[in-house]
Amino acid sequence: MKTIRENSFSTTGKIGKSLLLLLPMTFLILLFTAGPTPSFNSKVSLVAFLITFIFFNVLFFMILYKGKVDRYRATGFIVLALFFALTFIVDLIGMRGTMTFSHETMLSCEIPFCHIVTTMVILPLIFTGSIIFPGSIIGGFASIASMLVIVIGVMLALGRGFCSWGCFYGGWDDGTSRILRKPVIKKINPAFRWASFAVLIIVAITSALVLEPTYCDWLCPFKTVTEFEKVTSFTVLLKTITFVSLFAALVIVLPLLTKKRIQCTTLCPMGALCSLSNKINVFEVRIDKGKCTECMLCTKVCPTMSLEKQDVEKGKPSITCMKCGKCIDSCSKSAINYHIKGTPVGKRVTLARMLFLYPAFTLLVVFTAGNMQQGIVLLVKLFTTGSLL
Amino acid sequence: MGQGFILGLSTGAVCVVYCGPVLIPYLMSESGGLKKSYLLIAIFLAGRLAAYLLTALLAGLIGQAFIQQTETRSTLMGMAYMLLAALMVVYGLYRFKEICLGKTAKSISASDTTKNRFLIPLTGGFLTGINICPPFLLAITGAIDSGTIMGSMLFFLAFFAGTSVFFLPMPIAGMFKRQHILRIIGKFAAMLAGFLYFYKGLLLLIR
Repeated sequence: MKTIRENSFSTTGKIGKSLLLLLPMTFLILLFTAGPTPSFNSKVSLVAFLITFIFFNVLFFMILYKGKVDRYRATGFIVLALFFALTFIVDLIGMRGTMTFSHETMLSCEIPFCHIVTTMVILPLIFTGSIIFPGSIIGGFASIASMLVIVIGVMLALGRGFCSWGCFYGGWDDGTSRILRKPVIKKINPAFRWASFAVLIIVAITSALVLEPTYCDWLCPFKTVTEFEKVTSFTVLLKTITFVSLFAALVIVLPLLTKKRIQCTTLCPMGALCSLSNKINVFEVRIDKGKCTECMLCTKVCPTMSLEKQDVEKGKPSITCMKCGKCIDSCSKSAINYHIKGTPVGKRVTLARMLFLYPAFTLLVVFTAGNMQQGIVLLVKLFTTGSLL
Repeated sequence: MGQGFILGLSTGAVCVVYCGPVLIPYLMSESGGLKKSYLLIAIFLAGRLAAYLLTALLAGLIGQAFIQQTETRSTLMGMAYMLLAALMVVYGLYRFKEICLGKTAKSISASDTTKNRFLIPLTGGFLTGINICPPFLLAITGAIDSGTIMGSMLFFLAFFAGTSVFFLPMPIAGMFKRQHILRIIGKFAAMLAGFLYFYKGLLLLIR
């Protein structure tokens, strides 16, 4: 039996090791939070920087110290979604005076390009040589070229890990799926994990045929918390009812009742595209069959239904895995781990885990840092002046 | 034409998975290489095309004779679209025991003693082509809605192109390893196409 002294030594050693592994990340957090040439034009922005800097350092330290990924990842991920929506809406209202956009806005190519549109621009780009989105190609706010480069780069680096570490919408249903302690709806047909592939097929083809991004036009639930077309006709009204209903059902109600990321799993075409990139990405989640007792707890907690009984038997989740780490954290036998393809399963798991966590967490910082600092400044403004603008 | 293509794409995967395995083993066993496999697939698709064009002719004649003369054309077609689209959504959500006429070709194949090997894929293609399922019925409605024989033919040609996409990689892709997943995705795609047509029917009704 360990003495109190031995325990305190092992705790100190663990803290020291965690701090050592945190150092490179601290440098990256500083770089992406302060920028290459830091300039804080007010005390509030300096405070916002400090809060953001400390927040990410604490999160990564906890991942290292506690040996758990998902809880701390999700905290950052939900913060990303909330602050992104807040800053986006305030910026829009500042620029246009409204969350809605009109035909004039589209004609002047002022619509910001989001990563989901990637799934709809590829085919028309191949067949017609033009991009069917009313945004700016280079320069300006969220230009098409910069977003395409980021999306392709992240898919190559992390595969569908993007959906759990970088997507600025995913935090919504990730957040609502964590509100209840136990799911109300326990049995869901695992076939639904393939539904987003059907959405991908349909939106990619319809977009190529009508030369309009049909998912953005009709289905995207996140228009509710970003921007949407001004209701000027029955068709636009129908579109509005559709996306607001999808937001309520797939982002709020069903994740709440099922504890699954329903929108990301069943509707998002980008999720399907990222799943395909899991095939070429070097990181994956693997189950060490030597340690696994087939308790199936991982199948219950997986938020994307990527782990079913047959997947556990095969020793790896399906290609829809988002690499969120929830199954890894849930396994009491430490049988599930991040893994580098081509290496033996169950060997050098710490190395594989760190090699995945550094780029994944950096991605989270890159997408969140700016939004979080701007969001904090806005919230301070709201409390001191009573207005966000 | 675009709508016919989408409809074809949304139902093609299901068609391949349910009716394909009946014929593909025959097609593959007959082949003497990739070139021969594609020749047999081409004949099979020619059979499907013949079935579609025949259906398109009938649908076009119906569209030309009745629908154009009816004042309540929009109402009728709108209702037909909505009904069949709803059926297709249900078809996408639930499991049905598909009535695949192509199975007949399998029995022909088993009792085949003739030297004419090309007749079997041709017949199989024709019979799977007129497989009665909601997407096929919806395609007939779309073709009737075009109002002319030419329009109907073009609609079914696009529908054929959409369904054929799934047959082309067969000899090289070994896609049947994942037929269960393909069937699920095909069903969901059919359901989504059903929603598209439901909206089209709704627009026809309210205009």
